[in-house]
Amino acid sequence: MSEKYIIQIKNLTKIFGDGVEIKALDDVGLNIEQGEFMAIMGPSGSGKSTLLNQIGILDTPTSGTILLDGVDVTKMSDKQRSVTRNKQLGFIFQYHHLLPDFNALENVMMPLLINGVKRSEARKTASKMLEEVGLGDRMKHRPNQLSGGQNQRVAIARALVNKPSIVIGDEPTGNLDSKASDNIYELLRRLNREHNQTFILVTHDKHMAAKTDRTIQLVDGKICEDSRNGNGD
Amino acid sequence: MFELDVATRHIKSRRRQTLFSVIAVSLAVGIIIIFMSMMGGYTSILIDSTTENQAHITIMPKEDEDYIHLYHGLENHIYDLEGVEGVSSYFQGEAALQYKHNAEGVLLYGINPEDENRVVNRDKYMLAGEFTSIENPGSRIVLGYKLAKNLDVGMGDSVTAQIPGAEPIDFTITGIFQTGTPLDETMAFVNIERLQDLYRSGDVITGMGIRLSDPYASEDLANGIDRETGYDAISWMEQNAEILTLLETSEGMVYFFYIIIFGISGFGVANVLIMIVMEKMGEIGMLMAMGTSRRSIMLIFLLEAAILGMMGVAVGCILGYAASAAIASIVIPVPPEMYFGMDHLPIVIEFKNFISASVFAMVINIIAGVFPARRASKMDPVEAIYSV
Repeated sequence: MSEKYIIQIKNLTKIFGDGVEIKALDDVGLNIEQGEFMAIMGPSGSGKSTLLNQIGILDTPTSGTILLDGVDVTKMSDKQRSVTRNKQLGFIFQYHHLLPDFNALENVMMPLLINGVKRSEARKTASKMLEEVGLGDRMKHRPNQLSGGQNQRVAIARALVNKPSIVIGDEPTGNLDSKASDNIYELLRRLNREHNQTFILVTHDKHMAAKTDRTIQLVDGKICEDSRNGNGD
Repeated sequence: MFELDVATRHIKSRRRQTLFSVIAVSLAVGIIIIFMSMMGGYTSILIDSTTENQAHITIMPKEDEDYIHLYHGLENHIYDLEGVEGVSSYFQGEAALQYKHNAEGVLLYGINPEDENRVVNRDKYMLAGEFTSIENPGSRIVLGYKLAKNLDVGMGDSVTAQIPGAEPIDFTITGIFQTGTPLDETMAFVNIERLQDLYRSGDVITGMGIRLSDPYASEDLANGIDRETGYDAISWMEQNAEILTLLETSEGMVYFFYIIIFGISGFGVANVLIMIVMEKMGEIGMLMAMGTSRRSIMLIFLLEAAILGMMGVAVGCILGYAASAAIASIVIPVPPEMYFGMDHLPIVIEFKNFISASVFAMVINIIAGVFPARRASKMDPVEAIYSV
């Protein structure tokens, strides 16, 4: 595994609220290596999702820096952030957030089209990606014609189709039963190994966290535990 | 262009709302096209009947003078001006016409019918007899059909004219005209030389009518004649300034209504878009997470406004055309003298009306789209994603 850190977080603080201030992240420092498959755990309100949204540059910190691939994303313009999200980051949320008016294939094509890829090429890449997540036979189905697990697979295909270096998942299996959860976890793990992409997953599920390479525990906006799980390559 | 894809899918997925907003826009466009066609018809019939029924320029005597003397030279000079199609000198006097126990006050016009026909086509309005029957100086008279009715006279009857300072004199009716204007009740024509004799005025006139090939050139030409000859030359526009001002004012009023009608339809579109934005918050957040710029998000909703607008405009134009054509074909039984001789509603279906109504509607629709589109583009992606 390369020693180069793909994500370097220094003194990251995020304060919410005007009036009553809530410190969601309190001077967090964290380095993540290329290809790591890690879990962020912690009780509700500990700042897990906030940290994830900071790494995903969906939100801006109150102070501190985040370097993605050596570039400080906290200093980026709105447009640069959009481009970085499109090219370097993939998102999987608890709720799949697929566009309900588009079928599975079109949903997976969307990040490519946003990136300006030609339609025919996008279709080819997206269908390959859908086959990879085991939905080669469900391409023309709309989200309302698919099961929860299938929709989450489509969402994973969408998150990975642009070959992002970092994939972040906010409770990606939170809405699924344990069997579907396991399947999704296996899929993510396989994709991580095949493409050497960095996966950062927020989860409540200890069972799932234990199967990752590394787990960090957040409490009140601070990292209180950072452990290697011995599942790595 | 994925923005267009997303916009069209949003619209397709909300059929009922789409239908209602398209109905709102198309009704607005249709109604405005009908309005414009009616206004256009009304204006053109008013202006046509004005320019048809009167001289485009009338030359009146100089200030403090009652007559134009030595008018033959002026006549020739005017004839040589560019764009002049006809010149008719006239002698006008007030008189009372009497038949048995009926008497009516009239304006007697002494004219040369051939010249007069070149300025205003009187032949066209003849109900009976010939306008040219008063060509030679004789005791013949051509009068309006209402006047004839009020006097209870017909063709060939003899009426007595009472002219101030002259002996009563008999005229034989050789023609009756109908213009559909109040002139039918007050106007009568006789030969110019005959009238000059009766008034013992000598060879002078009280005015001169001019017809131009382009009625809209009359203002400039009238000013030119004014300056050059010192006579008082009045264009038809100046003579009908009140009607023209009225037309302008009513046009302004109508535009005010157009704005209100389009405004209402604009609110309909804005409403649908606001609902879509509210409903699609999570989707908008996810699009942002996938790297869609705020500009693209804005564009998506402006495109939706434009698509709804275009659908409404297309339907509205068809609606407006069909309704205008239908209204134009309805014959209304109104007395012709009330509405400038019309027997149906005047409708002018003009291409430019469709263009202006469409452009107007599109502009209002896009403006209506700006608020929801801005709202969508300003969303915080985190809030939007976790709103579901």
